[in-house]
Amino acid sequence: MSYISPTKIDEALEVLSRGSGKIIAGGTDVYPSAQLGQHPDFYMDVTRIDGLKRISVSKDIVHFGSAVTWTDIINADLGSAFDALKATAREVGSVQIQNAATLAGNVCNASPAADGVPPLLALDASVELASRAQGSRLLPLAEFITGVRSTVLRRDEMVVGLQVPVPPSTMTSAFEKLGSRRYLVISICMTAVNLVLDQDNRITDARIAVGACSAVAQRLPALEASVIGQRPADVEIKPEFLAPLTPINDVRGAAAYRYDVVQEQCRRAIMQAASR
Amino acid sequence: MTNIKPNSSSHKSDPNRRQVLAGSAAVAAIGAFGLPVGAQTTAAPAASGAFASLGVPHVRRDGAEKARGGAKFAAEYSYPGMVYGALVYSTIARGTITSLETAEAEAAPGVVLVMTHENAPRLERPEPFYSSPTGMAGSSTPVMQDAEVLWNGQPVAVVLASTQEEADHAATLINVAYEEADAVTSFDVAAESAQTSFYAGRDLLIEEGDAEAALADAEVSVDLSFNTPAHNHNQIEPHAVTVLWKDGILRMHDCSQGVDLSAITIAKVFGISSAEVHLSAEYVGGGFGGKTVWQYHILAAAASQLADRPVRMSLTREGVFRICGARAPTRQRVALGSDRKGRLTSLIHTGTTMKIENNSMTEPFFEQSEHMYRADNMHLEIRAGTMDMLANTFMRAPGAATGTFTLEVALDELAERLAIDPIELRVRNEPDVNPTTGREHSQRASVDAYREGARRFGWVPRSGQRQGYREGEWQVGTGMAAAYYPYKRFPGGAARITLDREGGALIETAAADMGMGTTTATAAVASERLGIPYDAIEVRHGDNTLPGALIAAASQQTAAIGASLTAAHEVLLAELASLVPATSPLHGLPAAELGTAEGALYSLADPHQRIPLIDLVAWSESGTVSAEGQGGPISEWTQDWSMHSTGAVFTEVRVNSVTGEIRVPHITAIYDCGKILNSKLAESQFRGGIIMALGMTLMEGASFDERNGRVMNPSFGSYYMPTHLDVPHIDVGWTDIPDPQAPTGARGIGEIGMSGPAAAISNAIYDATGKRARDLPIRLDALM
Ligand SMILES: Cc1cc2nc3c(=O)[nH]c(=O)nc-3n(C[C@H](O)[C@H](O)[C@H](O)COP(=O)(O)OP(=O)(O)OC[C@H]3O[C@@H](n4cnc5c(N)ncnc54)[C@H](O)[C@@H]3O)c2cc1C
Repeated sequence: MSYISPTKIDEALEVLSRGSGKIIAGGTDVYPSAQLGQHPDFYMDVTRIDGLKRISVSKDIVHFGSAVTWTDIINADLGSAFDALKATAREVGSVQIQNAATLAGNVCNASPAADGVPPLLALDASVELASRAQGSRLLPLAEFITGVRSTVLRRDEMVVGLQVPVPPSTMTSAFEKLGSRRYLVISICMTAVNLVLDQDNRITDARIAVGACSAVAQRLPALEASVIGQRPADVEIKPEFLAPLTPINDVRGAAAYRYDVVQEQCRRAIMQAASR
Repeated sequence: MTNIKPNSSSHKSDPNRRQVLAGSAAVAAIGAFGLPVGAQTTAAPAASGAFASLGVPHVRRDGAEKARGGAKFAAEYSYPGMVYGALVYSTIARGTITSLETAEAEAAPGVVLVMTHENAPRLERPEPFYSSPTGMAGSSTPVMQDAEVLWNGQPVAVVLASTQEEADHAATLINVAYEEADAVTSFDVAAESAQTSFYAGRDLLIEEGDAEAALADAEVSVDLSFNTPAHNHNQIEPHAVTVLWKDGILRMHDCSQGVDLSAITIAKVFGISSAEVHLSAEYVGGGFGGKTVWQYHILAAAASQLADRPVRMSLTREGVFRICGARAPTRQRVALGSDRKGRLTSLIHTGTTMKIENNSMTEPFFEQSEHMYRADNMHLEIRAGTMDMLANTFMRAPGAATGTFTLEVALDELAERLAIDPIELRVRNEPDVNPTTGREHSQRASVDAYREGARRFGWVPRSGQRQGYREGEWQVGTGMAAAYYPYKRFPGGAARITLDREGGALIETAAADMGMGTTTATAAVASERLGIPYDAIEVRHGDNTLPGALIAAASQQTAAIGASLTAAHEVLLAELASLVPATSPLHGLPAAELGTAEGALYSLADPHQRIPLIDLVAWSESGTVSAEGQGGPISEWTQDWSMHSTGAVFTEVRVNSVTGEIRVPHITAIYDCGKILNSKLAESQFRGGIIMALGMTLMEGASFDERNGRVMNPSFGSYYMPTHLDVPHIDVGWTDIPDPQAPTGARGIGEIGMSGPAAAISNAIYDATGKRARDLPIRLDALM
């Protein structure tokens, strides 16, 4: 087994084209899940590749390099549409985890309980992939993650960054996470909401995403549609809006409980986003 | 109701109460009990200023060393040629190893030895607790002596290699095949054949009158069942040992709670004398009942012998879950019957817990029910089933931790039915003498603790009505429960006092300091006993070559040390008397008429007649004066007295009506534990116990897979304990009334914090929500 730490993206893609390696960023998912004695042929560290640690804002796109950590996000100067993502960053693991762990790693690991996915879905994020053989491609996040711990990522491919279309400057956002203790905890469920309100305090744009209540976190289109034109305080979260969710019973909570909680999280997040 | 200083007192008028406020310099008046009687009645020189030690909140002696990283723990010793150990754990609960492929591991880089039952040296079975006075092992299960597997996680191979990484890697290359046998891994199945258990020298069965009939006839009653899960030890320092065989001595740097007993137990396994084992544990990163003798010690020493190399064996967190046991699960029934006034006519506390065939540790969860309340009829019984699992063992407040939960929730429910305030119900059943033994209490001020706690917490008395209220979506409630822990003092205490030429003293005792401040407390006790300034006292501990066979367990070590120091001091007085020159007025006085204070030997009858200790030391032949004493017979609780600590715990709880999130924003606890020797250490012990109890109440639990007997959450990632954000303001205080029967007036403080909070929180949850939580941990969705 070897540990390769390229500094150029081309070099990285060349390394990946050799086959059975494992990409590693912060390593906070990779190491805990590594089985003793079972190693890939090599680990390839993406955190030293030029440019990947940058968050850049152009006219249309906010771009997060794939080595951007949660701490980088907390420290970045981003608009109120990113408040939910920042709030998420502060609740991923602990400060030590946030310093090492990346947004891209969170997405690639594709855990149903990955905290980063709902706020990125609510930001309409896309995933930028690259490989030596096929160049680059851009996929909406919802298409990138296909199931529990599975993505469309090919063996020789890596995530280079995440792209978010620049949101309207009036867009606000909020994130709600529930765990069985206050800190350093795996989510029982989490909800991210991005909203735009008009002068009359009516919702004109809403994106609502829920995690840990289905194999892959998802937006709730029916709920989003229903809140348009409403004042936040009048929003009603009908059970049918949650129909796409398929929560399970597990040690962290019962399925029925998750339904109840998600309903409340949506309400809280909407109120919170609206008050910003 | 917040920020009241610890121990702000409201009992100043109580004539029985010594005015010994924590932190006050007047604390250590030599007239305190426990000193030779003469000293109490004469105008002895007062201990003050530099001489005042007991009750002074000295900072922990090991604190700076630990903060600097200077403290050396078991896994930090090294020797030339040392190799590292890794373990392979079985993956079945019961059966036989049919093959062990080790060739690949043996050929792996750095590997020095692979040890399995096929090549391990022949060893005796370890002596577990209660099988002999010195048994210190978790179980008597043979250590890698045959192909039999008795639990899922049992070590089946040891790898030694030149680095930890090489050892860990090689361990993964070993293939083990098993023939599985039927295993009992289900609580329900094991419960079917559970028997009334025997523990610590007695049957766990107490019957007085006909409790069932009294329950049926009771004017008011409750009959409830509870579940508590298995817990795992998670000391900050995972278990580790560094081993060296040299010059006929087995040298072990360990993390033991009782160095002497560990050494004796290990010596017997290897068939050598305990003088051939030198085992020390100067620093221990937390014990809580789990730092005893487990297989890793023996495997490390055996592999070291076989490889003829020093070995360091440091368990991973998973390793601790696999091979070091902890609290067993319980199912409990508490039924209470009373008359309309709340006088208990029936107290039933029965239930089932689990153990293994090869240990005799039954979680004694009815102990508080034996001693806390009077009742006309009682039935207390614990049945233990045997399962194929890792040996269960002691874990902070064995028995009382879960037993007070169930009993105190039941009392709350009864109080509600009776429309009596829960404190009042407890007061009405406060026993004049011990309810089961009939012995007199050595000291007991439970009612003071209830009242003081209520005052400081701002308790609103209730009579059958919930006091909870709503604040937005939060439901807020308050609850209380009593706390309980027995007083114990184990035999084997001893200490040596050596006076030096500079006026200082060295105290040597084999006691353990697991971080709770033993050396600090010992120095304070010695300072008071000897009349030598606290800073001039050096304490050596945690080494089996020092006097005594002490164990830091059952909150009794401080008492054991206190008794040892008293005994050693008596011997020392005789030594000093023999050095008094003929010209001195003290000449010829027997030791019993002498005392030490302010750095001098003095006459009890005429305290002005004194000789400085440094002069006496200078006149001695060797230039030091040394005396050793044994703790002596333990008469206080075995014979005449009922000695128990109690307390009262009050909590505020907020439950979110939508999500079920439970927050505990405030806890107040007042304890009646005898004299508090050091308020700083005591506060920290109480708070630590309360925090651990908070974890037990709301999150802790080993997920035991009943299909295969494997613990599924052997890591901090999935075995939850409170984080700082989960821990509220905790206000602690104490009655500080010395126990005249305990060697230093102190009954022990290490474990009682663990009892009470679970019930107080559950009772507060009821007050807030109207829902009773009788299973631990209380998960968020349980309240929805
Ligand atoms: C103590 C602890 C607490 C945690 N708490 C939380 C929490 O509260 N919420 C939460 O969501 N998660 C939590 N996690 C999980 C983890 O920290 C996050 O998912 C984190 O964001 C992963 O980032 P990473 O950089 O460490 O990923 P890594 O572990 O380095 O990688 C994760 C996966 O992504 C792949 N990968 C990484 N980068 C790329 C890339 N550029 N291209 C392709 N594949 C890539 C890796 O191959 C691997 O499969 C916790 C983990 C720990 C250890």
